[in-house]
Amino acid sequence: MAEEQQTSRFKRRKMAPTDENNDRKNPYLAHMYGGDTDSQHDSGVSISDGASLNGFSNGGSSNGLKLKRHATTAKDAKVAEDGPHNYFKPQSQLSDRYFGILKTRRGLPVHAQRQEFLDMYQKTQILVFVGETGSGKTTQIPQFVLFDDLPQSQAKMVACTQPRRVAAMSVAQRVAQEMDVTLGEEVGYSIRFEDMTGPKTILKYMTDGMLLREAMNDHNLTRYSTIILDEAHERTLATDILMGLLKEVVTRRPDLKLIIMSATLDAQKFQKYFLNAPLLAVPGRTHPVEIFYTPEPERDYVEAALRTVLQIHATEPEGDVLLFLTGEEEIEDACRKINLEADDMIREADAGPLKVYPLYGSLPPAQQQRIFDAAPASFKPGGRPGRKVIVSTNIAETSLTIDGIVYVVDPGFSKQKVYNPRIRVESLLVSPISKASAQQRAGRAGRTRPGKCFRLYTEGAFKKELIDQSYPEILRSNLASTVLELKKLGIDDLVHFDLMDPPAPETLMRALEELNYLACLDDEGELTALGKLASDFPLDPALAVMLISSPEFYCSNEILSLTALLSVPQVFVRPAAARKRADEMKELFTHTDGDHLTMLNVYHAFKSPSAQENSKQWCHDHFLSFRALQQADNVRLQLKRIMEREEVELVSTPFEDKKYYENIRRALVAGFFMQVAKRESSGKTYVTVKDDQSVLLHPSTVLGQDSEWVVYNEFVLTSKNYIRTVTAVKPEWLLEISPNYYDVDSFKKGDVKTSLQRVRDRESRRAAVKGGGSGSRR
Amino acid sequence: MAADLEEEEDYLSMSFSEPTESVKETSLQRTARLKKEAAERSRPLSKKERAEKGKATRDAALATQIDASNKGAQMLAKMGFNGGALGKSENARTQPIEVLVKDNRGGIGMDSEKKRKLRDAAEEVVGQEKKRKVGEEEFRLRARDEREERKNEGQMWSAMRTLESFETGAFDEGDDEDGGEDATKTKDAASSRPLKSINVLWRPLVKQRLEKERKRRARHDLDQSLSRRADYDDPDADADDKLALGTEVEEQLDDEDAELDEFEALSFVDRLEKILEELRTEWKYCFWCKYRYPDQEMEGCPGTTEDEHG
Repeated sequence: MAEEQQTSRFKRRKMAPTDENNDRKNPYLAHMYGGDTDSQHDSGVSISDGASLNGFSNGGSSNGLKLKRHATTAKDAKVAEDGPHNYFKPQSQLSDRYFGILKTRRGLPVHAQRQEFLDMYQKTQILVFVGETGSGKTTQIPQFVLFDDLPQSQAKMVACTQPRRVAAMSVAQRVAQEMDVTLGEEVGYSIRFEDMTGPKTILKYMTDGMLLREAMNDHNLTRYSTIILDEAHERTLATDILMGLLKEVVTRRPDLKLIIMSATLDAQKFQKYFLNAPLLAVPGRTHPVEIFYTPEPERDYVEAALRTVLQIHATEPEGDVLLFLTGEEEIEDACRKINLEADDMIREADAGPLKVYPLYGSLPPAQQQRIFDAAPASFKPGGRPGRKVIVSTNIAETSLTIDGIVYVVDPGFSKQKVYNPRIRVESLLVSPISKASAQQRAGRAGRTRPGKCFRLYTEGAFKKELIDQSYPEILRSNLASTVLELKKLGIDDLVHFDLMDPPAPETLMRALEELNYLACLDDEGELTALGKLASDFPLDPALAVMLISSPEFYCSNEILSLTALLSVPQVFVRPAAARKRADEMKELFTHTDGDHLTMLNVYHAFKSPSAQENSKQWCHDHFLSFRALQQADNVRLQLKRIMEREEVELVSTPFEDKKYYENIRRALVAGFFMQVAKRESSGKTYVTVKDDQSVLLHPSTVLGQDSEWVVYNEFVLTSKNYIRTVTAVKPEWLLEISPNYYDVDSFKKGDVKTSLQRVRDRESRRAAVKGGGSGSRR
Repeated sequence: MAADLEEEEDYLSMSFSEPTESVKETSLQRTARLKKEAAERSRPLSKKERAEKGKATRDAALATQIDASNKGAQMLAKMGFNGGALGKSENARTQPIEVLVKDNRGGIGMDSEKKRKLRDAAEEVVGQEKKRKVGEEEFRLRARDEREERKNEGQMWSAMRTLESFETGAFDEGDDEDGGEDATKTKDAASSRPLKSINVLWRPLVKQRLEKERKRRARHDLDQSLSRRADYDDPDADADDKLALGTEVEEQLDDEDAELDEFEALSFVDRLEKILEELRTEWKYCFWCKYRYPDQEMEGCPGTTEDEHG
């Protein structure tokens, strides 16, 4: 095998470039173009050994090749792959491009262990596979499985899950190319709001969340013969639930095979969880990385990071730098400062040219691509080397691979989601990373050649302050929608459901409580009709309930738009350089009763014929995110389909009706009655109902200070507590629409209780007068 | 003694009890109080106060576990949860993950470094405080012991002198135990006798006197002769010279005296006891009564100890 690898690599060097450029730009496929980036393919050369030794005739067509399910060898697969006909599409001849890519594929580290993989795969039902980033596991292992599992013979499919939508899409596209088939036919993908598969599909890449949704209607996942959970080390909420579920399914379905793929070496935990499943590890292509610590803790980690980057540029030999920071604002700020300092260094100290690129999730794809640009060339031949610096969130930690990085600067922080059931707040907070993350970050420096990692903390702090593994998402999330999903999955015993890391009991209590108030679960914890319906929507339960009940308020069209808007990133853009102008533009859409109504105005304006003429320009002019609005439009369409299928009426109050906005605000209460705050008598602060948290309106709000009661979409935890996206409501609506939650007598003594009591008394007096009045008339 | 100490501590203590207010609030006072409280409530808070208040309510809520009256808790209980953790794995968590809001840019380890320094400083202060306190206590105890010792020593010397006066026959009924002229007379008599022949019970008294005398003489010599220091050891001087110079006396005093050493190794109380015993048995004298009884019965003496003499 090794010999073959060498020859193929040798040959590749001589080959001319071809059309892989599309993938080259794809950050999720960067690992395909490892160290020797000039690797290309040549259709003219085919590998000569193997076929004849195999006992199979190599007589031109693979159509006659009989592979025996779960008894094939690497050599069989090789014959099948060598064609000349496509094994899974016997009528079609394999293309030149196919053979080119084939050679690249056979140089990937996983390929060397194909036989070993097959032996294990055939012997066992559950397999844990460990391959470091760049080993080729995501693209190759599913294909290895296809040639042995032969799902088409069983009328089944192979599924491979991914934590991210983009990864599922781009990997599917790449694998379709590798297999010389059309995307959406033999190889497809399925992500929320988009299904790119067909009747012929035998390999399906999908988000883990999507597979979970499928499991709700097909508890045994009968459509699949093999399920591969990729990137299991990321421990997303959906992957964790899937593992718990599949652990049960494999006992009911002995024919189902399960592969857990992880990129880190904490695989023992997976092995133990899956009843000591065998493990196969494939080494990645890595070089040693030297690690440096600071002698003292840093007073300001951003400042220390900038200093370190500049010092690397001034003193270290050629090689690019990767700096990890926590968020968009911090990253943009750091980029600006590095640029300024670097200019000074070039002018005063004869330093080489330096290019700085930011990288974070909400960056437009075109700008994300720029990180793959080559480092700038030296100013003069033989001069100080040019260098690029990438300042990234932890997106660059595992999910994408940038070649040429030799220096990593790690301040030890990342933004992480946290949830606390006691104050019911889910927020992104800057927190220390784990030891595993730190090692992963360091590893990024050794992709091309031996590198260096500068940790901006002491070795003692690394040992003492960092936890071993990052907390899985399930411990950091509100589980309301998860509980609804589990119920729908037929898991009745939530208490003993075997999760790898069960959440704190209080988290589950809070989820049950919320679902009970939303009338999705009854007092026994059983799904109600509303709960069943709500679980059909890929939404948070509060949003789903709001949407389902909106016809009662004659505004389901509007609530549908609003739900879509609340499911996508922020629509308002407020660049640092043009804040004033952006605020002026926002004012054009402002509805003084709240941010929800303002967002709705934006959407309506966006859909107006005049805006649609050139919607991109229109968004740019009005400081709105075109991408977010477009996404909202798409989500709205998908949700509308589900509403039509479930027969949820689509109605509107005429715009001229003075109750148009009031109805929308009332419908908001139907979903968000648990997220209400009341203004305190001192004026500026609000206090959240029931939890008694002192909060401020987020500075971005359009709402005036005179609103006594508000619903909010988000509780933001910072050094101050903020509520974001707020709309004014009336207290009598709370009592009327959600009497269970607003059982005033059960409230703690205080301002909120007193005010609600007053409202209740007033309402009952009014009702009495009305009732008396009508009675006397009769 | 212990009681004394306690009293002393009480005296030093700053706390004192206050008679509890039992007067009922009048309606006027109540109105005033409510008004004040309302004003306090409606007073706009400063930014800092608001942030502090927000943090305080948050921390309080974060520290409060969801209790059993909660609807969700009841639902979970119905599902079969009875405390502990969920799931089947070992070491599953029972508490939610702590929420830590980072409000500065301190690097990893900076906070604990600060905390460590703060703790060190605090510990140092506490340490000093403790040391000081221990010192006070010790001093008090030591002072008490020293007082006791001094008293015992005084009584011992006094008893020795009484015994001496009996044995040298200088005792005079009704006389002060360290009597005036007589005492001087007896002293001279004693100093003329060889030291070891004197009763060991009062031998220290004589020895002390001799030593005093020697020192006085040495001082006198030093004053008289500038050429020779008292502690100057002349290697050429023979025994006669030494005797002539008076340095020989020292040798005499420094002579081995096992009997005396043994006696002096005893504590003052024990030595005193021995002397008093001698006085009672040999001289029918009670040191505490200050009276020489006519016979061995010593009728009228309440006992052998000071306490018995009240």
